Amino acid sequence: MSLSTDDRRTQGSPASPPADKDGAARGQVRVSTKVPLRHRLRRDRTLLLMTLPAMLLLLVFAYIPLAGNVVAFQDYDPYIADNAFQAIMQSPWVGLEWFQQMVNDRLFWSALGNTLTIFLLQLTLFFPVPVLLALFINSFVRPRVRAVAQAILYLPHFFSWVLVITVFQQMFGGAGLIAQTLRENGYEGFDLMTDPGLFKFLITFEMIWKDAGWGVIVFLAALASVSTELYEASAMDGANRWRRMWHVTLPALRPVVALLLVLQVGNALTVGFEQILLQRTAVGPGASEVLDTYVWNVGITNGGFSYAAAVGIVKGIFGLLLVLGANKVAHLMGEQGVYKK
Amino acid sequence: MTPNSPSAPSRRRFLASSVVVAAAVGGGMPLLTACGGGSGGSKNEGATTGKKLKDILPAYVPSKAVTPDIPSRNGSADGFTTALPADQLAVSVPKKLGKGSEISIMAPLWGTSPGEGNAYWTAMDEAAGVKVKWQNQDGNVYGQKLGAVLASSAVPDAVVVPGWELGGKIPSAIANKFADLGPYLSGDKVKAYPNLAAIPTGAWQRGIFAGQLRGLPMPAEATPNITPFYRADIFEEKGYEVPTTTQEFYDLCKEINAPKSKVWACSDMTWSAWVFFGVLPEKPYYWKLVDGKLVNRYETPEYLEALEWSRSLYSAGFVHPDAKAETGDMRTTFSSGNVLMYNADISDWYAATAVQRLDKPDFRMGAMDFFAHDGGDPVIYEAAPSNIWCFVSKKADKQTIEDILALANFTAAPYGSKEQRLRAYGLEGTHHTLKDGVLVKNEQGNNEVFATYEYVATSKPYRAYPDYPDVAKGVIEWQQRQGAHLKKPLFHGMQIQEPNRYTELNAQFEALEKDIVRGRKKVSDMQQQVSDWRTKGGDKLRDWYKKLLDETGESAS
Repeated sequence: MSLSTDDRRTQGSPASPPADKDGAARGQVRVSTKVPLRHRLRRDRTLLLMTLPAMLLLLVFAYIPLAGNVVAFQDYDPYIADNAFQAIMQSPWVGLEWFQQMVNDRLFWSALGNTLTIFLLQLTLFFPVPVLLALFINSFVRPRVRAVAQAILYLPHFFSWVLVITVFQQMFGGAGLIAQTLRENGYEGFDLMTDPGLFKFLITFEMIWKDAGWGVIVFLAALASVSTELYEASAMDGANRWRRMWHVTLPALRPVVALLLVLQVGNALTVGFEQILLQRTAVGPGASEVLDTYVWNVGITNGGFSYAAAVGIVKGIFGLLLVLGANKVAHLMGEQGVYKK
Repeated sequence: MTPNSPSAPSRRRFLASSVVVAAAVGGGMPLLTACGGGSGGSKNEGATTGKKLKDILPAYVPSKAVTPDIPSRNGSADGFTTALPADQLAVSVPKKLGKGSEISIMAPLWGTSPGEGNAYWTAMDEAAGVKVKWQNQDGNVYGQKLGAVLASSAVPDAVVVPGWELGGKIPSAIANKFADLGPYLSGDKVKAYPNLAAIPTGAWQRGIFAGQLRGLPMPAEATPNITPFYRADIFEEKGYEVPTTTQEFYDLCKEINAPKSKVWACSDMTWSAWVFFGVLPEKPYYWKLVDGKLVNRYETPEYLEALEWSRSLYSAGFVHPDAKAETGDMRTTFSSGNVLMYNADISDWYAATAVQRLDKPDFRMGAMDFFAHDGGDPVIYEAAPSNIWCFVSKKADKQTIEDILALANFTAAPYGSKEQRLRAYGLEGTHHTLKDGVLVKNEQGNNEVFATYEYVATSKPYRAYPDYPDVAKGVIEWQQRQGAHLKKPLFHGMQIQEPNRYTELNAQFEALEKDIVRGRKKVSDMQQQVSDWRTKGGDKLRDWYKKLLDETGESAS
């Protein structure tokens, strides 16, 4: 993982201002630009070869399909020709018609609103949980206890969404365990699974249950690389538990948190396709339709490929701007972010 | 990323069960006495009528191979309560017609594929004289696969398309990718395939897409497939009366409902409510003439009344929470007595009984007669004569097409024939046994012999349950009672292709219906949506249909 270099550096001077690290790194880059390209290619050929399979995948599954976005400017009918390429050639151009339709489409705005609300909920409710869990697990001294706690927390990550939602339905549904127990004891039952008002919290809750444990791994790795000497030294200086966490542990996590935050923001408009699609009918599209499910329903289910592509393009551009923005903020905070200039 | 079945729109899951059992219109179809021919717009729009229709349709030669135990009446299926021993079965395909072509067929499958080379498929191929390479896809998400496959350059030789997957641009795909079977089947040519000639004309008419006969049909009864079931055994035990008005239904729900002991009165009843309130069917049969003006299903007061009533069942807490969340299998919930009334495809009657009677011999369910909401005779709109078709790729050569037709002729063999026995029950000894007139599939039979071949084509509708004759009798008699109230909607039986720009106009209605009955939206939201629908193209669509109506005449007579 690329984190290891960060961590090692952090380990060296955990509390030092990050500007130093950046300065050093920038220096290296500047040196390398002076070497001619040919030499660099020769020098790095092993590394380049290693990236080749990933590059190919990216090319085939990301860059080439990008060209398909032209259908957003057409009235695309995939069935008028034998293959997609010919169909694109034969479909009539309609300019920005689909984008205009999108602007006037109540359902699109509702999907966008839901997406952003869910993103903000995930950011505030989901994101801190793995950090807290990591600190919690890290506080166990006995490795055995730690391993068991970790295993229990990881496990739900390997459940499929169908299973997770079924478990939730069985627990919190109108005929679920809790509602039924309440009824048997003379109280009113309740139905968490079909309440549109609570839906966004529900899916965040499901996500925390399923994936928070998994998210802990990265933070635990970062924590493991903090030298115990630092703790000992600060303890000698009279720092109590809280101060040690504040001055030693948290600064060690900071670069990782910043990196993940930027990545998370970049995915802001991707808030859980399968999970939401599976529960869409339970609460209705008004509360649950997000951009991804909207694209799916318009494009794949109803066959409106062009319109779906237009929505997809807007989503992509918006996502890109968010990543760049978040990265900028990370730089301003003195962190490395996803890339450096 | 493939979504799993719970996400599939409920209509698909609903109708899915209907295809497990083959079915079709009873008596012959009224010949269309329409004037004019075709209709305006692009080549794929409109409907085929008049002389052109007559030229395309295959001749109808009813099969005389078998006599049903309960003959079809009022648009019901033929009923069969007995099973003949193998040596007394009729032979409907005396000479193997297939020439051994290898045929790839894409079809939906509700279950687990038995895998290539299994004894059932091998025997079927052998008997029909073809070699089928099945490309089975999960029936619940079939539409999503279908769209992708048809857009690719590798369209299988034959593709099964259910009527509820005809949304979006699929009709364009059918017009562009599939062959005209007219040269092989129109008029007397169909007589080369006697079992296909015995398919009622109405079923063929619905197989005409973009002016050509393209679909091999799976005929269906004229009576509704959605059936309001109740637990007859529990009703009897507790002394509940089967309701005959919507108010009685509501009051009965109040009496039954006991969530504390895990009993809810009913499941979602919207589908039955459409009939109780006499609501028009779905597209394209969603118009009626009022004072010479076309009025759409969504604009009728009864549509809103049906929603309002279904909503009242939810808000009173009569509906099982799983139905509200659209999770779980209602047939199971009903079988276990957690709901006492639900509506589903009529084939659930047999499906539930066959499973339950294994360990609960007293299990009995019944179907309540449809009633008008205020207690009068119901208005039941006639169902389309076929709603699943098998299409042949345009790229298939002559020999392949002929072999697909040979296979279709084999799969369309009537009940009581050797061919049908093989298709529906597999090989005697290997897949089923016949003892004292009762056919029983064994484990291998249950794992290998299920709906695959019948999607290629089936005979006129029948319901044969020799193992539970009471169910066969119940089903047919229910159909015959409902059949007495049948009314043909406008454009009945026509395969209508709306202009491309309107195909998604009504895409949002089903979701809003669900929102309203579940109390998430108000009935007035529907009125808003209907007025949006009008301005976004509904009114233009009305004009389009009016023109079509003027050209074709009222098929409803």
